[in-house]
Amino acid sequence: MQFMKRHLFALVLVAVVATIAVTQMLGCGASGSARSRAAGDVYVPPGEHDKYYAFLSGGQSGSVFVVGIPSGRLIREIPVFEPRAAYGYAVHPNDPRRQQLEATGGAWGDTHHPAPSETNGVYDGKYLWINDLANGRLARVRLDVFETDRIIKIPNLQGAHGIAVVSPNTKYIGVNGEFEQPTNGMATNPAPYTSVVAFVDPESMQVKFQVRVNGNIDIADSSKDGKYFFSTVYNLEQGKDMGSMLQFDRDALAAIDIAAAEKAVAEGKAEIRNGVPVIDPETAPGVLTLIPVPKNPHGVNATPDGRYVIASGKLSPTVTIIDVNTLKIVAEPEVGLGPLHTTFDNRGNAYTSLFLDSQVVKWNIDKAVAGASDYIVDRINVHYNIGHLQAVGGETMQPQGDYLLALNKLSKDQYLPVGPDMPEAQELIDISGEKMRMLAAFPTPPEPHDAVFMAASLLKGKVKQVFDVEAHSVKEGKESVVRTAPDAVTVNMTMIRSAYTPETISVREGDRVTFRMTNVETIRDMTHGFALPDHGLNVSLPPGATKEITIDTPKPGVYWFYCTNFCSALHLEMRGRMIVQPTKGDVTIADWHAGQNVAGMQVPGVPSTARPATTQPGAAPSGR
Amino acid sequence: MAADRKLFLAAAALVVVAAWLPYWGFLMSAPQYPGESLMLNVSHRGISGDVQEVTTLQKFIGVRFPEHLPELRWIPPAMLGLAAMLAMAAFAGAGAVGRFFRWATVALFVALLLASAATVQQRLHAVGHDRDRHAPMSGLKDFTPRLIGPTKVGNFTVWSFPHVGGLALVVAIALAAWGAGRKARS
Repeated sequence: MQFMKRHLFALVLVAVVATIAVTQMLGCGASGSARSRAAGDVYVPPGEHDKYYAFLSGGQSGSVFVVGIPSGRLIREIPVFEPRAAYGYAVHPNDPRRQQLEATGGAWGDTHHPAPSETNGVYDGKYLWINDLANGRLARVRLDVFETDRIIKIPNLQGAHGIAVVSPNTKYIGVNGEFEQPTNGMATNPAPYTSVVAFVDPESMQVKFQVRVNGNIDIADSSKDGKYFFSTVYNLEQGKDMGSMLQFDRDALAAIDIAAAEKAVAEGKAEIRNGVPVIDPETAPGVLTLIPVPKNPHGVNATPDGRYVIASGKLSPTVTIIDVNTLKIVAEPEVGLGPLHTTFDNRGNAYTSLFLDSQVVKWNIDKAVAGASDYIVDRINVHYNIGHLQAVGGETMQPQGDYLLALNKLSKDQYLPVGPDMPEAQELIDISGEKMRMLAAFPTPPEPHDAVFMAASLLKGKVKQVFDVEAHSVKEGKESVVRTAPDAVTVNMTMIRSAYTPETISVREGDRVTFRMTNVETIRDMTHGFALPDHGLNVSLPPGATKEITIDTPKPGVYWFYCTNFCSALHLEMRGRMIVQPTKGDVTIADWHAGQNVAGMQVPGVPSTARPATTQPGAAPSGR
Repeated sequence: MAADRKLFLAAAALVVVAAWLPYWGFLMSAPQYPGESLMLNVSHRGISGDVQEVTTLQKFIGVRFPEHLPELRWIPPAMLGLAAMLAMAAFAGAGAVGRFFRWATVALFVALLLASAATVQQRLHAVGHDRDRHAPMSGLKDFTPRLIGPTKVGNFTVWSFPHVGGLALVVAIALAAWGAGRKARS
């Protein structure tokens, strides 16, 4: 007893330390179990496929990244607004896709929002549209071949930011112009600059009409019934600097009545600017309704059941819930600091990204609308400064309620340091239970803004892996080198493991040489490349594909073209020559080894039985 | 109609149908062709199926694709003749001559099939031995694919098997032999 009294402090200290140690050990055990469970949830064994495709906008990389979910494995990059030598995309100035880029705004872009085509309110797996904020463009990607199909420059618009398809059957793709433009000729417009929302036909990619909106038009979504196109609008003050943009305490959610806009165009109430009918809401009442929301809002998302549309506060800790039928605000609950975007599960819950709190907050929509105090269900920390977030099917009428992807703006300490510029990162969260559960994180090149998911079962049956032979395809046995003009040659070429036919092409200095090439392989994944040194040319041809490109005025010399996609044990030997004969002087480049029989040729020190030289099929046709 | 007569007529009909079906098949699988084996079908029109892919691959090991197969052209007339004999056998008398004719028809049928099998085997031997010695890939020994069953050739496993036409002919032989046996017992 005396001992305990004397050493009371020491005993208490030992007890406290022991308790903490045991708690930590138990905690570590639980944490280890949670890690194993999370690892198992995202582990997809080699050879097995993911459950979902995730299409991530590539941001300033100008492309779309395709990632498997839940594994987070990068499956493909779809180049859109930037050339990609890896895919032979738009590399050469004469590549039609490069010319399309140059003609519409340049060979770089800033992709933000992937928007898949819908039928009956769910993704149909046909197209995916993506914006280029930097150059006011919209691109369409074909999902059967995962390739960029069309790119258009949208007139009267700068800063193509938020885009959304008009549900439920993709009547239009709406594109928000974020940066105001001078509106010369808009006599009724009192403001010097203004912006437009453009409505693009999904098949023809023609801009059908535009609706003028004052301020900066930000993020977009449509009502599920296709009646309204919603856009958040900030800077109603039309200020030109930071201070003047923040004067009003409310900005707006713009609701464009699509039928009313179509009627206004049909009645000739739109002014034609740069070939596009532009509707001034002041002369066409009923087209545009502005719903006041806290200043400088950001995301807008329609609930899957079609009842509400939710604007996220950004600078306000609230989300504004608006009844889609009445366009009246029904609730404005607080959710946390920096709410940017909202997505949904199939159990009536919304998930909002909190940029400043670096959290995802889960809240119950009905409870928030009813004014209940317990509408917040859960919060989970993300790393760090989350921007967009997307749950599987969250933008459709059939959310799945299983996974949510947090697209974070900063990664800070989450990966091995790689210099001052750290990777962008995504975090995958399990939302199938009451509590959210962090599963995994994976980095990507900079910098995805948004993502959409598509079920593997939807796309697998639609994806083509071998192109069909077309009328303009070059057929085996029909290869040729044809002089089509005094200074023009067309090479009709085929390629198959592992040879080009013809293997030797002879042209003259100053010729324009058109390569029309068909990869005549018929099995999947047997892509061949065609790289021509010193001419800025690399073309990638998947099996069955035909591509055509013209090079101008090749310089005299011998150029070995070669295959850039590994194809067989003879891949390194897959090459051929373009011999460009000089026209000045009396110099002629010899056709090296042409016609020689190398049988019996011996290299000193390397005894060998040489095979007789054979005439290669289609070898040495000349364009001379 | 007597059962044995029906058996001979059924055999004759099967032979006629079989003459226009693929006789032999080859299924080729390799690690880099997951879930998508290459298939070759041998019929009286020649070899069909994944011909382009197989001819592309075989160049690497110096195999010459058997393009000239004159024996295939003779199969339909031979089969029609055999079918005619089977039909005649159906109506041959119950006497010694008729019995002899029926068994002779069955024997000819068997002989024809064995000869065909021998021809296929000889062709397969040629495929694996009559190779270009200067083929790009070295180190692959000569081979003879089995007439029926798997053979490992490089990274491929080649399964050889009688196709529907071949199987129909085997069934037709069984029917004819059954018919001849029934007649003998009666």
